[in-house]
Amino acid sequence: MDRDIKISIRNLYKIFGPTPDVALEYVKQGMGKAELLEKHQHVLGLQDINVDMREGHVTVIMGLSGSGKSTLIRHLNRLIEPTGGEIAVDGENVLAFDEDQLRNLRRERMSMVFQKFALLPHKTVLENAGMALSVRGHKIEEFEAEAKKWIARVGLEGNEYQYPHQLSGGMQQRVGIARALASNSPIMLMDEAFSALDPLIRSDMQDLLLELQDELHKTIVFITHDLDESLKLADHLVILKEGYIVQQGEPQEILMHPNDPYIVNFISDINRARVLRVRSIMKKTTEAPDNVAGDIGERDNLESVIARSGGDTSLVYRVVRKGKQVGVLEVQDLFKALVPTESPESDTRSHY
Amino acid sequence: MATYDFLFSSLGLTEWCAEGKSDAPMSMAALLNKSKGTEAEQSLWDVPFPSMDALNESCAAFPQSRELTQGLEQGFLAVKDNLSIVLDPITQPLSWALDGTLYAMITTPWWIVIPILLAVVLLVTKSWKLVGFVAGSLCLLAFIDYYVYAMQTLAIIFVCAFICVLLGVPIGIAMSRNNMMQRLTIPVLDMLQTLPPFVYLIPLIFLFSVTESKLYGIAIILYAIVPVIRMTNLGIRLVDPDVIEAANAFGMTSRQKLYKVQIPLALPNIMAGVNQTIMMSLAMVVIASLVSAPGLGVLVLQGIRNLELGVGLVAGLGIVILAVILDRVTKASLARINASQKQ
Repeated sequence: MDRDIKISIRNLYKIFGPTPDVALEYVKQGMGKAELLEKHQHVLGLQDINVDMREGHVTVIMGLSGSGKSTLIRHLNRLIEPTGGEIAVDGENVLAFDEDQLRNLRRERMSMVFQKFALLPHKTVLENAGMALSVRGHKIEEFEAEAKKWIARVGLEGNEYQYPHQLSGGMQQRVGIARALASNSPIMLMDEAFSALDPLIRSDMQDLLLELQDELHKTIVFITHDLDESLKLADHLVILKEGYIVQQGEPQEILMHPNDPYIVNFISDINRARVLRVRSIMKKTTEAPDNVAGDIGERDNLESVIARSGGDTSLVYRVVRKGKQVGVLEVQDLFKALVPTESPESDTRSHY
Repeated sequence: MATYDFLFSSLGLTEWCAEGKSDAPMSMAALLNKSKGTEAEQSLWDVPFPSMDALNESCAAFPQSRELTQGLEQGFLAVKDNLSIVLDPITQPLSWALDGTLYAMITTPWWIVIPILLAVVLLVTKSWKLVGFVAGSLCLLAFIDYYVYAMQTLAIIFVCAFICVLLGVPIGIAMSRNNMMQRLTIPVLDMLQTLPPFVYLIPLIFLFSVTESKLYGIAIILYAIVPVIRMTNLGIRLVDPDVIEAANAFGMTSRQKLYKVQIPLALPNIMAGVNQTIMMSLAMVVIASLVSAPGLGVLVLQGIRNLELGVGLVAGLGIVILAVILDRVTKASLARINASQKQ
């Protein structure tokens, strides 16, 4: 196994109902979700999930409600027990853990951020941020400095002695993030962490998360139903539908080569110029082109390039990373990349 | 001839019936009939329900209904002594607690007791207004020479409510963690709540001596413990499941979860239960004066027995004042808890 794979999920199944083991056999023989529900009254939650999550990467699991994404993330720290399959963290099989090992995993190696914040309402911001440390048995005097550091890091300095109900939703979720960070665990699970926030605050929080990630390099598993959010955050994107993985990979790759009408339908609504980045459509070459109009960064999005070119399709840009040329982008190619993937679009929509 | 003769003759039990002829006592109705000397032909309109007494008329060997109640009584009297051997030592501390508290509150001079009570009020409510109200009420009761009675009532309530909380909260917690426990406990709680309080005074009188204070102590506790159990159970079950999930996700043990999350978050509900428990012990302490509980209830009883209207009314007013004090103080402390943990 790859050394830098932090969490590996193999053939994971989850079936809800009175006799999931029996139902699992039917599913393995190829029975679908609808048929299973109708004939055996079991709900197929997750079906044959295989994902490798790399250390220091943000893995985003995206799907609509009911796709099983929240179920999936709760399998990682076994808040939900799987029906079949394997989950390994750092190469250790989590499912074989006894109670003490599991508690240790939750205390030391994984922390979680929740959609509805789930702060302790009777504790101050400081005590909430230090929750993971107090669970490990530390007194407030011992964790105060550490908790304060993280509260300041998420921008809540001065709010330490307030209670959660005195804070706005965005501020409460900052406490939630500080709580997860203060546990100093290498893995962070974020269950629709920003879904309950309004769009502007959500965008702020995403920026905060990316900024923290640049510095801390945690292994983050992020759940969302928002495609824009997943494209902004993801190093590795997993798209779930009705309990199975439709497609997974690098987000730009999925955007350029969707393999399922479900995904095409998803991405047809987004502003491609804003989410596509220069590096995914440039020609990789170190040869300097003629008539260079200027230098652009490989992580710049296409919208900014269009703005720079003023709509002139004849221009050619040099793509640079840390001052060195890594490729060339012709604005003409840029416009080709903006053509919706499968046209005519109405055809793919008519599948639904 | 009685209505159901045919039943026994058709079953061939006539002989068995005749055997028991003499030993069963005669029912009142039978006696009346006999004295009237009439045994008129019955119309369909008068057919009695085949009850124990009606069947006994046809067959003397069949037991009468009063033998049922008598049997129950005999049975209870038979186990009573053995039951007392077990119950007496267990409940003895209750007698000590009641007697001790009563003694302490009455022998301590008023100028120490009243300030202590006011200090407690200030401590739990942080409201000077309420302290003033309580001081005024207590002084009023003392002024009309009801001080001793009021203190006796308060002492009994303090002890009984304290024991209710001591027993009720753990029972409530056990119920909230175990559905089977909840299913078994709820019928008992329902019964305790619906049985008229006089009904469980009767077996208690048989079990314990009327001179012992634990007799009324137990009666009050049985009556008043229900709300605190129910509200503890409800409060813990109502704790936000998201918060419980977060506690699990951060690796709390179930003990940590109970003390750091569930009990603190259930506290407003538990306190509401404690408030109810205190109010119900106040109601019961009056009834318990029938079985020698001291306090304002004795005066009410005196008012009823001797038709002393004035004594009864003033004592009733005193109970109302105590009720208002206890309710205000517990509600104010409840409000303080609520304010500190709004969601």
